[in-house]
Order: sequence, then C-alpha cells, then structure tokens
Amino acid sequence: MRNLNHLAAILLLCCLLCPLSLNAEKWTAETLPMVYLQDARRHVCNPDGVLDEATVSSTDSLLTALEKDKGVQTVVVAVKQIEGGDPYEFGMLLARKHGIGSAKQNSGLIVVLATEDRAYQILTGTGLEGTLPDAICSRIERRVMVPRLKRGEWGPAISETMKAIDGYIRGDESLTAEEDGEDDRSLALEILCGLIFVGFWTFLFVALSVQQKCPKCKQAHLRVVKRQRVKISNRPGWHMCETLRCPRCGHEKVVYKEENNNNFGGGAMGPIILGGGRSSGGSFGGSFGGSFGGGMFGGGGAGGRF
Amino acid sequence: MSKGTISLIVIGVVILLLVGGALTSYNGLVQKDEAAATAWSNVQSQYQRRADLIPNLVNTVKGYAKHESGTLESVVAARAKATQLTVNADELTPEKMKQLQAAQGELSQALGRLLMITENYPELKANENFRDLQAQLEGTENRINESRRQYNEVVKNYNVGIRSFPANIVAGIFGFEKRTPFEAEAGAEKAPSVEF
Repeated sequence: MRNLNHLAAILLLCCLLCPLSLNAEKWTAETLPMVYLQDARRHVCNPDGVLDEATVSSTDSLLTALEKDKGVQTVVVAVKQIEGGDPYEFGMLLARKHGIGSAKQNSGLIVVLATEDRAYQILTGTGLEGTLPDAICSRIERRVMVPRLKRGEWGPAISETMKAIDGYIRGDESLTAEEDGEDDRSLALEILCGLIFVGFWTFLFVALSVQQKCPKCKQAHLRVVKRQRVKISNRPGWHMCETLRCPRCGHEKVVYKEENNNNFGGGAMGPIILGGGRSSGGSFGGSFGGSFGGGMFGGGGAGGRF
Repeated sequence: MSKGTISLIVIGVVILLLVGGALTSYNGLVQKDEAAATAWSNVQSQYQRRADLIPNLVNTVKGYAKHESGTLESVVAARAKATQLTVNADELTPEKMKQLQAAQGELSQALGRLLMITENYPELKANENFRDLQAQLEGTENRINESRRQYNEVVKNYNVGIRSFPANIVAGIFGFEKRTPFEAEAGAEKAPSVEF
C-alpha cells in the first residue's frame, strides 16, 4: 500500500512537471478512476489535482461520517475537463455505471465540477430528492458554490458546498444508516432455492436407483433403508454402502458402489449458482475497498455554468 | 427397471420441463410488462410535475414582464393541451404516442421561448423565487428525459422478450402485445429557434 502511494506520488509529480499535462484529459464515466472502490473512506475523485490535499481529506472525512450516519453515499468529482462538457450527462453516466447509493434508500449523491468547462452539477438520487429538492441544490450553488468558483477558489467552493449539503441531509430524520439485513435475507432465499433444486434432482436420482426387484420374493421393489459412505481397504476413494430391504418379505441386501463425483448423497454438492442482485458495484483491492449499493438517479438536482 | 417405467419417467420429466418452461417465460413476461407499465406511469408523473410548475412560473413572470402576454398565453394553452392528453400504458398505440409527444413537445417549445424572454428582464432573473422555479423546471426536464430513457429501455427489453423463442408462443397465447417506445424527436423537442 505504501509502495503504491509512493508510486502514485511519483506519477503525480511527473504529471505536474510534464508540460503535456497542460492538455488535460477529458474524463468520461469510463475513464475516471473511482477512488471509493479502492478505499471506502475516499469520496473525492481528484485525478487532475484540481483540489488541494486539505480540501480532499476534510471532504473525505465529512462524507465518510455522513455515509456512516445517514446512509448517503456521495461521490465528488473535481476535474478540469469532461467529455462533452455537460456535467449532468457525465454525472448520470457515472451513476448508471456504478449504481451510487443504496438500492433501498436510493440515497446517492454526485457533485461534479469541471473547472475548464466552467460547469458544475449536483445530482441527487431518487431517495434524496425530498431532502435536497432542486431548488435547494440550486440555492446552495448560487449562494455557496458559484461565488467561490468565480474567484477560482476550487477548494473552498467544494468544501463549503459539501458542508452545506451535509447540514441539509443531517436535518432529515427519515434517512437512516445502512442496514445489511435485506441482503442477508435475499441470499438466504437464493440458497434455499438452490437447495430445493438440488433436493429435487436427488429425489429423482434416488427414485431411479431404488427400483430394484427383490431377488427372493420377486414381488416388490427393494428400498434403500440405509446409506453410508465407507472406505474399503485396498481401494482408492470413498464408497457408498447401501442397505436395501424388501418391504414385503424383509429380505436385505447390501451393495457397495464406487462413489463418483456425480453422486448427490455425500460430499460435493456442486456449485450453486447464485444470481447476483445489483449490489456490489465491484469492490476490489483489499479489505478497505468500498462498493456501491445500486441506487437509482432520476435526474434530480441542479447545475449550471459560471 | 422395466421399459414402461423408464418411458413414464421420461414423459413425466418432459411434461415437467415444458410446464416449468412455460411458467417461467410467462412470469418473466408479466414482470417485464409490469416494469414497462411502471416506467410509463413514471413518465406521466414527470410530465404532470412539469405541468404543475407552470402556473406558478407564469404568475411570477407576469409580475415582471407584462408585455409578454403572447408568450405567456401560448405556454398556458400548450399546458392545457398537454394535460388533457393522458394515456394509460395499455392503450398506448403508436398514434397516441405521436399525439402525446407532439403535445408535450409543443409545451417544451413554449416553455423554452418563455425562459428565453426572461433573459431580457434582469429584475426577474435576480428574483430568488424565479430562480428556484427555474431550477425546478430544469430538474423536471432532466427527469422527463431520464424517465423516457428508462421507459424506452424496459419497453425494448419487453419487446425483445415477447418476440424471442419460446416466450413468443406464450406471449401469443396470453395476448402480450408489442409496446410503443418514444421516437427520437423530429422537430418537436428541438431547441426553439430564435427569430428576429
């Protein structure tokens, strides 16, 4: 991790020194590095270094606390340029790609600032539209964000805006911290379905395998009364020891079968394929990585140019 | 095991698979159908949201721009026409969709013209109330576009669903019909042109 940080620092330094960096990259929702996925405590995407370190770290800790207390998952993007120059489109693509915000509360929040496009946008998830109506977003932008943006104070513009938004969200009692209960329940349901499926085939298999006529009275079919996995000396692997009994005359027969992998009785159950929900936008990179919940955005929020 | 038992079991399994397959595709179609109906009602409610904002906007503009009665009247008229036309998801024929798109497009254009003339009134533009309304209107336009995009997506999903094998047989039996998506606009949603 430390090595990575060093590498990142060196890369950043190279970028700063390199005159090519004057041609800033036009970021798209695909190319923008989503730092939250690597570290759930980082909410500010600042690939061009538009914001200063202090702003980034204070905003990160503010938003981490907000996520913990209110279940609002926030992504702040501060870049020089975005493809197409429309921060609304960019934010919506980002929302669609990652599914920011929990699926239950739909409480995602995206703030985009493109300094060279001179455009900004606040996007609210469908569950946040009541807490942060468009008019409130617009007011925050007009009173807090735009005056600072006009002076070129990118850092204060973002940190003060996020503080104002934080105040509105904390004032809303209806928003609650995320609970994982529902996910567990749906997982349990999926496992249950898997077990029923496996059980059905086991039943078929058993039904097929027991159809053996009694050699003594030849009247009824033998039924399996006992089944055991055993090891037989000098033979590799496990064997299945089945005791069959005739329900009519009581004749018993013991058979040993070599256990192959397709048998359902014992160990290997085979993989149960669980259809994934929309959760986990793709967490990777160690135990600290965050994942997005699959929240919906309906186009709420406000934006503009300065 | 006798041949009779084997063939019985085979027939049983085949019937089970057929019935199971039909049930699964029927349920899948019902889900897709419901999703399309929900998406449509979302589109409708976003249009309604816009219509609800207009009286307030018109009144606010009226206070500052008294000489623009023509533009204001055209917005009110377009709103009245658009709100008259609400269509259920199930009776959404291509013709109805065309009418609806035309009416809503006309309202979009009238609103665009109204917002353009407000540029000439600095006092109005400085009014907090007006700026809030403008933000709400912009957000609503975005919501309309987003809900239309989502509607088209689920309709596409549904239409592919009822046409692909073997669900098309089930769709034919139970009368699932093709749904109409929004067309890319030819004219109606274009940005209003400036005339001198």
